[in-house]
Amino acid sequence: MNTGTDHIIKSYDTELTRLTGEIVRMGQLSVKQLEAAIDVVERRDERAAQRVVDNDDTIDRMEQEVSHDVVRLLALRAPMAGDLRNVFAALRIAADIERIGDYAANVAKRAIPLSMVAPVRPAAGLEHLATLAATGVRDVLAAYQDRDAERAHAVWQNDTVLDEAYTGYFRQLLTYMMEDPRNITPCTHLLFMAKNIERIGDHATNIAENVWFQVTGEPLQVPRRKLDETASADFSGLAVKPNKP
Amino acid sequence: MTDSAIATNPTPVAAAAAVPSKLTVRDLHFHYNGFHALKGIDMDIPEKRVTAIIGPSGCGKSTLLRIFNRIYAIYPKLEANGSIELDGENILDPGYSMNRLRSKVGMVFQKPVPFPMTIFENVAYGIRHHEKLPKAEMENRVEQALRSSALWDEVKDKLKQNALGLSGGQQQRLCIARAIALKPDVLLLDEPTSALDPIATGRIEQLVEELKSQFTIVIVTHNMQQAARVSDLTAFMYLGELIEFDQTEKIFTKPDKKQTEDYITGRFG
Repeated sequence: MNTGTDHIIKSYDTELTRLTGEIVRMGQLSVKQLEAAIDVVERRDERAAQRVVDNDDTIDRMEQEVSHDVVRLLALRAPMAGDLRNVFAALRIAADIERIGDYAANVAKRAIPLSMVAPVRPAAGLEHLATLAATGVRDVLAAYQDRDAERAHAVWQNDTVLDEAYTGYFRQLLTYMMEDPRNITPCTHLLFMAKNIERIGDHATNIAENVWFQVTGEPLQVPRRKLDETASADFSGLAVKPNKP
Repeated sequence: MTDSAIATNPTPVAAAAAVPSKLTVRDLHFHYNGFHALKGIDMDIPEKRVTAIIGPSGCGKSTLLRIFNRIYAIYPKLEANGSIELDGENILDPGYSMNRLRSKVGMVFQKPVPFPMTIFENVAYGIRHHEKLPKAEMENRVEQALRSSALWDEVKDKLKQNALGLSGGQQQRLCIARAIALKPDVLLLDEPTSALDPIATGRIEQLVEELKSQFTIVIVTHNMQQAARVSDLTAFMYLGELIEFDQTEKIFTKPDKKQTEDYITGRFG
């Protein structure tokens, strides 16, 4: 853990501070990307959606910069103890944020075909999932910046809320598809988008685990209930009764 | 960390409880010129492991090492209080023979100090002091010591040449050969590579790894990366006190004490 005392070599502190700043900026950009992706779904704006997809390159470049800085720090500073965990966590967190950016771009990518078919009502439900995911990422970034293990733990535990919301949304989309086969195309896109958002939540929990490790030196190993039940739940009760002739 | 904080966090004495202790240090105090250099050290140094002692200059790490073979005894009026048991016998006991101690506890210093004689004689000299061996047996002992110190291949054709012609790294390995030729139980290394280049340093570190199956090794080093590379256990000392003593991996990834963390991360000197 960072003991709060400056290094004798001041430039070492400068480099570690810069690394934290890079991670936080990268994370903030990934949240903006997610919010922009949801915005283009609502506005049905293909060109804006393409811009979100293109912006993902920026996050990828930032991850490469973090990797470069981490290798440089390991080679030139030989960090130890809390500094070592700091640098190690930065590398892993950057990889999670890069994946969050990919998922946000995927949501924007599907917004393009979605805007080409008639609007469906459940599209509005995607925003709720995105808000939960964005809040998780924002909170875990704050925990990272403040080296706050408890706040990271709270994010980690709170992912169940997103999982439950995702399962409910999945059920809702199935109902729509059963009711009218014309809903199948847009609802399938929405299913994939929802899954992407649910995965963003999982990456936020990964970041939380790394913050916990960075601060405490221990892995976060308490079992957590996984509430994405879409792979195992029985949805047969949703079957639509055949119309009487 | 304040003194009171240290007092409430007792030092882990036995960092490797599963391994028998070779040197058992209890309540060791050392004074010189009115200076309290070691303040109640308790430490179990495990057998056939490498224990590194780190800490800033003046922390007492070299003093502690030098008490393990009572080298301080050459200076009058210096006295160590407490006990250091080697195989159950207190080596600080005035009745413990210095000759016996020096044959059981070998030491290698910061600067290689070969005797101004042949390479062969450098190794044979110590053996002759303790044992009378027939010529063939002596040659065999010298060869074994030079092989164990990874020097044999480099010097086997020039055993009769003056040791001062060897490179610094070779001289240091010769000093290690000289120490292990007596078949000691414990090998003390006092910053053994601080005068060597990285290649020679690497050879000594490799040698330490090979020798630990036969000897209990205690190494004092200013180079924390070296402590991390070669040791199984690391002790951090500060102002004459043992602050933390634990598995090396633990010390360098998640030390318990803030002072240890501050020192190994370069936050104070």
